[in-house]
Amino acid sequence: MIRALVLVLSAYAAVIVQEFLPGMPFFAGAHVLLLPVIVCYAVIRLPFPAALAFALYAGLLGDLSMLQVDGERVEIGLGWSMLYYVLLVGVLRLLPSIAPEPRWETHCLASGAATLFLLTGQYLMVCLRRESFFLSGAVFAQIIGPALAALLLAPLLYHFFGLFPDRGFRRRAHRVAR
Amino acid sequence: MKPLHIVLFVAAVVLAIVFLAFSPARMRAWQGRFFDVSTPAMQAGAAINDRISKLNKGLKSLDELEAENAALAAQNNELRASAQLLKDLADENRRLRDTLGYRERSAFDLVPAQIISRDASSWWSSAKINQGFAEKIDSSQPVLTADGLVGRTTTVAKDISMVMLLTDETCQVAARIEETNDQGILSGQRTAGDGMPVLVINFLKRNADIKPGMKVVTTGVSGGVFPAGIPLGTVREFRARELDGQAIIEPAADLSRLEDVFVVRGTK
Repeated sequence: MIRALVLVLSAYAAVIVQEFLPGMPFFAGAHVLLLPVIVCYAVIRLPFPAALAFALYAGLLGDLSMLQVDGERVEIGLGWSMLYYVLLVGVLRLLPSIAPEPRWETHCLASGAATLFLLTGQYLMVCLRRESFFLSGAVFAQIIGPALAALLLAPLLYHFFGLFPDRGFRRRAHRVAR
Repeated sequence: MKPLHIVLFVAAVVLAIVFLAFSPARMRAWQGRFFDVSTPAMQAGAAINDRISKLNKGLKSLDELEAENAALAAQNNELRASAQLLKDLADENRRLRDTLGYRERSAFDLVPAQIISRDASSWWSSAKINQGFAEKIDSSQPVLTADGLVGRTTTVAKDISMVMLLTDETCQVAARIEETNDQGILSGQRTAGDGMPVLVINFLKRNADIKPGMKVVTTGVSGGVFPAGIPLGTVREFRARELDGQAIIEPAADLSRLEDVFVVRGTK
């Protein structure tokens, strides 16, 4: 329970902190995204209903912080990140062969992949709305940079969140698994 | 797989789709509320960020002084630290005097504001400023510095506003080359990379006589967002394309190092 609370607070803090982190010069100034790493941890460690609720909450925070409403024009509307994270819960939890048990390696790979697909999806949506599509080194760097950063950060965050007890949730998660 | 889990999963998907069906006005209202709730956290983040950057700046200057005064460095650490602090204060004082002077000279009704953060997203170019509707700021108001145009406001909360920067591909401005009077549409680029951001003007005449170094200003379309005559930048390059001409522009305001800006509420 304490860990779930820490995750809720961390997701909010991540949304604020990632705005102040400097861009990565080797990746065309791309920013580190902390939120997908935290969501992946919650998805593989929390019981299914709590993971779904967390995905909705984190998606809402992510959308609200990045939403660009210019008059009547919205390129990526409120709700897309929520939908994406809910589908992530579905992929990682409803298909147990992908993540049979919570391990740091699973979290690490899931974080990298989730960030990669999130940014790729965002870019495709932006291209669709602007009715033009191009790929350049800068575009690849803006997608791959944050994904690599997520891969590197995931083990640190996995062990950091492991410092907080989650006994109540773990018992319930085991009961659900049985 | 439990049927309850499938029901919960479907319910979560439906809830996300409900949010997707929100109108832009409702999305802006939700974002405004989020900014209101997050204002203390964002201001605290901005203050910490400011301190860290000031500390970095101070340490760099100290390194330079050490190189010049190697023999005296060990004896004069305390004095140099004090001198550095005074220098920082003097720089800040001069900068604030300059901006205040611009505010008084300007024909516009300006609200001074500071950039508190830059958007972490890769596909848009925006920033947040520490003024909102408490200072009668509205959406779609021009934001500029003493050097030139910076962008325009989008979502406005009580004490925080989001500014879409000129470097964003969707922030389009009617622009005019001052010397030749050629007109076109200025916008940013989708991914500018980590170098100095550049702007482009499209739809110029193919055979226009545009040379590097020429000044670019806003045209001031009637009913538009931006008043006429605000500096946008200088021409770096002009190329004739199949149907039109395109100019690459260096922004007048340093958009990569923005600190103090003004929001234009109207004319005086």
